[in-house]
Amino acid sequence: MEIKKYIKTRLEKQGFEDIIITKNILEAKQIKFSKNKIVKTGTELAEDLSFFLTKNKRILVTDLKELSKQNIDKFAKKSAKFIKNLPKNENYYGIAKGPFKYKNIKEFYDKKVLDINDIDLLEKGLNASFNQGIKRADGILEITKTKTELLTSNNAEAEQQSSSLYFSIRSFANKEASGHSNIVSRTLKKFDVEYAGKHSGEIAKKALNPQEGKEGKYDVIFDPLPLSGLIGDIGNACSIFSVEAGLSFLANKLKKQIASKAFTLIDDPLYLNGIGATKFDLEGIPTQKNILIKNGILQKYLHNTSTAKRYNTKTTANAGLIAPQPWNLVVKPGKTKQESLFKGIKKGIYITNLWYTRFTNYFTGDFSTIPRDGTFYIENGEIKYPIKNIRVSDNMLNLMKNIKEVANNVIQTKSWEAQEPAIIPSILVTNINITKPTQ
Amino acid sequence: MDKSLIDFALRYIEKRGASYVEAKLESHETNELFLKNSIPEAISFLTTQGLGIRYIADGTLGFISTNCPEKNRLKTIIDKSLNLTKRSSKYREGIKLSEEKIHKKSYKIKQKINLRDISPEEKLKELVEADKAILSTKVKTPGRYISLTDKLVKKYLITSDGTEIQSEIPYVNLHYFLTITEKNKSSQRQWQYGNTAGWEAVKKWNIPKILKDEALVMKNNLTKGKVPPKGVLDVIVGPQISGIMVHESVGHPYEADRIFGREAAQAGESFITEDMIGKRIGSEIITVIDDPTVESSFGFYLYDDEGIGARKKILIKKGIINEFLHNRETAYKMGIKSNASARAENYSKEAIVRMSNSLLAPGDYTEEELIEDIKLGIFMKNFTEWNIDDKRFQQKYVGLDAYLIKNGKIMYPIIKPTLEITTPYLWNSIDAIGKNFEGHAAFCGKGEPMQAVPVWCGGASARLRNIRLN
Repeated sequence: MEIKKYIKTRLEKQGFEDIIITKNILEAKQIKFSKNKIVKTGTELAEDLSFFLTKNKRILVTDLKELSKQNIDKFAKKSAKFIKNLPKNENYYGIAKGPFKYKNIKEFYDKKVLDINDIDLLEKGLNASFNQGIKRADGILEITKTKTELLTSNNAEAEQQSSSLYFSIRSFANKEASGHSNIVSRTLKKFDVEYAGKHSGEIAKKALNPQEGKEGKYDVIFDPLPLSGLIGDIGNACSIFSVEAGLSFLANKLKKQIASKAFTLIDDPLYLNGIGATKFDLEGIPTQKNILIKNGILQKYLHNTSTAKRYNTKTTANAGLIAPQPWNLVVKPGKTKQESLFKGIKKGIYITNLWYTRFTNYFTGDFSTIPRDGTFYIENGEIKYPIKNIRVSDNMLNLMKNIKEVANNVIQTKSWEAQEPAIIPSILVTNINITKPTQ
Repeated sequence: MDKSLIDFALRYIEKRGASYVEAKLESHETNELFLKNSIPEAISFLTTQGLGIRYIADGTLGFISTNCPEKNRLKTIIDKSLNLTKRSSKYREGIKLSEEKIHKKSYKIKQKINLRDISPEEKLKELVEADKAILSTKVKTPGRYISLTDKLVKKYLITSDGTEIQSEIPYVNLHYFLTITEKNKSSQRQWQYGNTAGWEAVKKWNIPKILKDEALVMKNNLTKGKVPPKGVLDVIVGPQISGIMVHESVGHPYEADRIFGREAAQAGESFITEDMIGKRIGSEIITVIDDPTVESSFGFYLYDDEGIGARKKILIKKGIINEFLHNRETAYKMGIKSNASARAENYSKEAIVRMSNSLLAPGDYTEEELIEDIKLGIFMKNFTEWNIDDKRFQQKYVGLDAYLIKNGKIMYPIIKPTLEITTPYLWNSIDAIGKNFEGHAAFCGKGEPMQAVPVWCGGASARLRNIRLN
């Protein structure tokens, strides 16, 4: 913290009012594999020192590389000169006042995570797929260790070390039949690569010989992986920044029934082994569990100190200094087993992965997204055959209102497109609109 | 960071037995400012710089990135990487690269008006004026998000083959997101402009006019638009749509690393196979190019991130598949030379096969000629939502600024015409191409870890016959 304290003193001397200094150190390694061969190893070391500085409602976000005292003095003077000419942000109302005490999060940091036998881990994941009769697998194993330190002009001083493991595997039974599974964890103990390998292999085998899907209305079972991106979209729609910018289908819906009673969404940054867990937000405020949607009713938007003051409410400890953000989304599981979701479906589709979700209108929630990997037609409660070339073309509010049942098979996952991690069970949604190419 | 550091890294890795090393020093000086509903949220001035190294040892590709410039720490991370790559060689791919000409070049884009000479106030003034221009239309716009970014990217690349390339490229990028409402209806549109140039490009865009026109067009569509007709009709697409079509259903599936399956886990594969060179994929008038040498374009470069000299690539020539996009690895696999398509987002990402400026080559029709013999059709000038499957076989485009055409005349706006179509049908249905040309900026995402590079998508307008909208 010493160098940061020195920098803070120099910045204060230049008249800066709110100062947040954040230092991140990241060490990471990756093994990327394709067609059962390792096609790339990655090794990364990065250190960043970033600043959020304000003076008379003017805001500057910047960074510093060289940390000699001479350069720090130059940086403080240059920043003071620069900010003088910036326009005011009349919507800015400051940062939180510390000091704060922080709770320790269990299963958050495994200091030996970079020393584990990575090749052995990879082999376990691959073999679990091959044991399903799969001949080809592609994906990535990624292991990261991060240290974050934060110091503010309002006496917040925080530090945390975390680790994360990510294994993503796509198994191919042939060119048209694939299954995908991702697994993430903070610690090795709960990092079940064999589950991911086996799960992806099982889906791929079942996906052989797909038929063309047909357009229409279907009851749809979404597994955790395809849901992770959509749940991330709902979490982001809860940010007050999205609401103000016209990027939220949850604008003007506080305390309203926006989803079925079966749906409860929580942002829980203290979640055990949560890959998005954090002790403090970007102002240094201790994080807290926030229930965003309870039994279908929208409870709150995500705020930082400044946005909360504007709305005469309390911060939810979700800074994002410009845009408040969810940390670690959790969908409350139901009591039904995943396989029981199929019962009673007359005409349905089972989706194991999605990609390329795009919105026509974030404000209304109109969107479409493309099922990929094993996608299956369900009739009278049973999977009949795999299908291909379809698209979910619907609306987020419809989707949330039509949630019929939430299963109990909770998985922690993140998707490639939407990086927000989430802890999610499978969900059955009725009356989903499916389209396909006309020609 | 000083250049001697990458020279040290290259020699050190070579000594440890690597058969090939490529090291790049790269810095990005970025200024970003944005306005949300008339309020300037924050100004950021960030510098990222670091070192990215690719090497081949024991038949396996290793990649190292760091922004920590001390020699000892660099040595430690190199040792860790070599150790990991050695362990990984149990599952070695046996990667080999095509033999290529060695280049020693230095180039930079000259800025007529240097971005560093423009104050943050002056830059912000462009956005404030644009915001005022939107409000002057009296269109209800509850969501107005406008951002302007400029960036100076400096690269210094050396390889163990002897290549040495130095470059300096300035980027300017406008991004906006508009939400308009009218009674209980709303409409939304986001778009970008981008060039590799100085401030002169921003002045040429005329941001206030762009935003004002956008708001008026959106309102016209929302208030006067009618539901598209059912049945078979013809569709004219403007360069914004033909550009995204080219990017998604020609550029991506012609990336050779997809064809060989390297990005299958996330970015996906391709419905195109290696043996399809020379096969017909579209009508005779279709020529699609990818050209990084277009002056001032957002995807501009003269040497790629492997140090190969850039050139125009003809992906489809008169309807026939002509060539794929290659780096040295995929070129070796096909027994040819690289066509300089290796690009990385920044020093911390490996260079993979990417597009630059993917364009539908212009034909010889005026806009009037494209329209005049259409009995029933739609003119889709721009779009909102779009997506495509991961083999690039079936795609969707939802039009925003769109009009009904009846008996050769434009009639009235159409709301959300939706084209959901397969790639072969799309490129075979085109019977006329406009004389016009537009390049539109985008950031293209690919790879795992995900990385985004600046590109242009664009070209000419095109006429599609016998289309059924969804």
